[in-house]
Amino acid sequence: MLVDLQGPWNPIFGRLGLLLEVHYNNPIIFFAFMMVVIGGTAALSWVTFTGRWGWLWREWLTTVDHKKLGIMYILVGLVMMLRGFVDALMMRTQQAMAVGPDSPGVLGAAHGYLPPYHFDQVFTAHGMIMILLAATPILVGFMNLIMPIQIGARDMAYPYLNALGLWLTVAAASLVMIALFVGDFSHAGWVGLTPLTELPYSPGVGVDYYLWSIQIGSIGTTIGAVNLIATIIKMRAPGMTWGRLPIFTWTTLASNIIALTSFPVLGVALALLTLDRYIGTHFFTADLGGNLMMYTNLFWIWGHPEVYFVVIPAFGFLSEIIPTFSEKPLFGYVTMVLASMAIAGVSWTVWLHHFFTMGASPGVNSYFSIATMLVGIPTGVKVFNWAFTMWRGKLRFPTPMLWAIGSLFLLITGGMTGMMLAVPAINYLVHNSVFVIAHFHNMFLLIVYAAFGATVYWWPKVFGFKLDEYWGKVFFWLFTAGTLFVFVPMYTLGFMGMTRRLDYIPHTSWEPLLLLEVIGTGFYLLSILAFVIQLGVSIYNREKNRVVASDAWGTSRSVEWMTHTPPPFYNFAVTPVIHARDEWAWRREHGLTNLMPEKFLDIHMPKNTAVPLIISFFTLVCGFALVWRIWWLAAATFAAIIIAMIIRSFDKDTDYIIPAAEVERMEKEIVARAEGRIPAGEPAPVGGGAGGAYASKRTPTQRRDND
Amino acid sequence: MKRKKIPMFLRFFALIPLLLLGGCNTEHFWLFNPKGPVAAANLYYMVVDVVIMSIVIVPTVIFTIWVISRYRASKKAHHDPKFSHSNGLEVLVWGIPIIIVGVLAFFSYEGTHAVNPWNPTVITKNPKYADTKPLEVDVVTTDWQWMFIYPKQHIAVANELVIPVHTPVHFRLTSTSVTNNFYIPQLVGQVYVMPGMRSKQSLVATHTGEYHGFSAALSGGGFSWMDFKTKAVSEADFNAWVEKVKQQGRRLAYPKFAAFAKPTVNLAGKVHYFSDVQPGLFAEVIKNVRDGKLQYATPMFLTENMDSKEFKQHSN
Repeated sequence: MLVDLQGPWNPIFGRLGLLLEVHYNNPIIFFAFMMVVIGGTAALSWVTFTGRWGWLWREWLTTVDHKKLGIMYILVGLVMMLRGFVDALMMRTQQAMAVGPDSPGVLGAAHGYLPPYHFDQVFTAHGMIMILLAATPILVGFMNLIMPIQIGARDMAYPYLNALGLWLTVAAASLVMIALFVGDFSHAGWVGLTPLTELPYSPGVGVDYYLWSIQIGSIGTTIGAVNLIATIIKMRAPGMTWGRLPIFTWTTLASNIIALTSFPVLGVALALLTLDRYIGTHFFTADLGGNLMMYTNLFWIWGHPEVYFVVIPAFGFLSEIIPTFSEKPLFGYVTMVLASMAIAGVSWTVWLHHFFTMGASPGVNSYFSIATMLVGIPTGVKVFNWAFTMWRGKLRFPTPMLWAIGSLFLLITGGMTGMMLAVPAINYLVHNSVFVIAHFHNMFLLIVYAAFGATVYWWPKVFGFKLDEYWGKVFFWLFTAGTLFVFVPMYTLGFMGMTRRLDYIPHTSWEPLLLLEVIGTGFYLLSILAFVIQLGVSIYNREKNRVVASDAWGTSRSVEWMTHTPPPFYNFAVTPVIHARDEWAWRREHGLTNLMPEKFLDIHMPKNTAVPLIISFFTLVCGFALVWRIWWLAAATFAAIIIAMIIRSFDKDTDYIIPAAEVERMEKEIVARAEGRIPAGEPAPVGGGAGGAYASKRTPTQRRDND
Repeated sequence: MKRKKIPMFLRFFALIPLLLLGGCNTEHFWLFNPKGPVAAANLYYMVVDVVIMSIVIVPTVIFTIWVISRYRASKKAHHDPKFSHSNGLEVLVWGIPIIIVGVLAFFSYEGTHAVNPWNPTVITKNPKYADTKPLEVDVVTTDWQWMFIYPKQHIAVANELVIPVHTPVHFRLTSTSVTNNFYIPQLVGQVYVMPGMRSKQSLVATHTGEYHGFSAALSGGGFSWMDFKTKAVSEADFNAWVEKVKQQGRRLAYPKFAAFAKPTVNLAGKVHYFSDVQPGLFAEVIKNVRDGKLQYATPMFLTENMDSKEFKQHSN
């Protein structure tokens, strides 16, 4: 051993002996564990008793269909968001209970019910999960789901890589969930403050869980970015010139350029920290020549671009939703594209504003201050453009539009507080205060609002029925009440001088506002309930809310509304030819809304594969082994990953052809179904994209001559 | 399904928290009650920034709300389905943010120098303080306490800071373990306190009184209890206080300091006084941290159970 480990270690079980010292009598952990056991058992029994294992395997676990991978990305994001929300509930209640020296303490805490050991893990997990395992997968999911259809492609450029990206993200999320019950999680903030994350100050396995799960997840995101960029560059339909690209596709491109260039920096920063913890190097220690602020720099060189990685697609959602419900094209398309690219460009030059208080010289701080403010210019342009899109429009306000407008106002307030934080003279007062917390939650909520808007907006396209409007509106208003009740008091507390990450609140004057925040989390809780009811009611009434038209809203504008609802697994019967910027609006105006092509052609499709699932399973085990320093297991699983990759690389049977006649048959069946000539109860082999069943039936590969 | 409407009053219920902004007791708003020129300058730039931003944000919000209400489909207002470009408006939408950012950039540059922790011009260029002899204080954070060393007076105080009013106080700061953040909201903004490195900060208190100081950067289990009272007293009271501390007769040399730096949660908010402080203690601490000679590992489950015997050994 090159480092001094606290606690036991042996060659077979690594540090697992530590588990004997963990106190599993904590009722909160026990309750969470029971919930997971009950939930997991229920899900598995459902699959078993309804005989869906084969379906699950063919249609979901081994699929390479970008739409299904996108749905699974979003599902993973939502589940992790729920976990992050439970963390938030615990933080809010702990802070409201632990005010003043007289407040009582239970469960080993001096005040409240979470001692620092647990509280610090809770907020670290909350931040890390919400950003990397909730916001990122949800947005990547939408990019996966919508972007290829928007450019008229059949799938992504690298369908296999796409599946690998998803399953690596799932492995990362699983590792974080395992940390909840087996050992502990990092207690050093989601940014991994050095040297607090170094071995002497974080002797447990928590930081190792943090390091390996982010490392795995960021590999997934990076290969996802490669794939999305390649798809946009190479897979556009004929006529889809750069000037006609839908705006959401542009924002996908901008944000993935950011991801591709910034995630490797994170990987390197974490790898160096890992070396510090595992083999005793001194990259980020205070002693023996280490430089702890170097980690902070590297982290934020990734961290700030990451913020724009998640916010730019949200801008894309707004740019799709607002024109549809204004019945007008987006105002200033070229400007919007330039603004997205400008935000992406400036995002690399502003990282130091996360630590103005490091004590850098005024020259350095002024530079980063002004660079940060530059972001305000393209962002301001976007706000004006959306306002001018609605100007002289014919506005309707179904739920997607409500979410979009909510998002717009959150952008305005978040932008304003962001411009305050960009000024070092102000930042010195509010850095690390709850004002900053309120600001970046304000910005992340903008993304959440836009993403919920996008969910309702694209739901009918993906599933073939609309979501319930009434419960959708209840959800929206409860969520908005939660947002205001939590974050207005939080901004206010920032002005009162309250700083972040406090397990114990020494000043009783902060108590009333902290209680209001608890009420706000109550509204959030109710809003989640409303969302679940909305989903339940909508699925129950799906026949009544069925959408058969390709264009669910009647006024949509881009290419994804030009194929069937829901799209077949091959997306388009014949690759469309694009004539205009808002192709579907253009076709509507010219009366070209007939979806049935005159002539059918063979379709070349990728085949399902289980390799990504297998690789990601080995990655998960490898990560677990590395966390617990079980070297033999880590080496074995790493070798297994390499072997799986090599075997896959010799597999030539990765694609198949759907003959033109077969396409014609399926298309006619979809149309018959839409016209009600096939009863709704009949199982649909094609509609909804049953590509997996089709792909697994087609074993002999037929290759096209020109491939 | 028939279309149900959510009552209007319920929707506006969501806006109730906004009322909070009006009716609060202002004395608890430390950021709005600066007691020294540095914090006052911070507040000044905050007001300037908000006012300049409001020039563009208020009209934007009003315009957006107007558009949303004016162009609802039900209003049958003029609908222009082709309108998507206007050179005039493009110039406006780029021009306004550029001008605003330009103005803000000037104030940001000015403000950064005014409250620069290495040389805050609100103090160093202020003729009022030109003839006053500044007080020097060395700050060392440990896991999880504060040590304030007054090198010229040869005294030191743990977990309490006493300063004379109307006198510039120059701090040098370092840490023995992890990064902390020195913050007294009503007197001076934050600056990192980093192990093996030295940062600086300066402040002047213009009113006598007691102010809250604390660490604003997470530093581990005892972080929440890492605060210190800052007492700004008159010149005479300060000198009397220094004499009193000198009488206490507890010497603080490096070995004693190294023992003090052992991980300790200051649960009870205890204050310790030391007289006869070893000269050059601050430099010696930095050197030992850099050489890896002053370092305590945190026990793994230290704060898991704050009733445990192990925790009691590490708290007071």
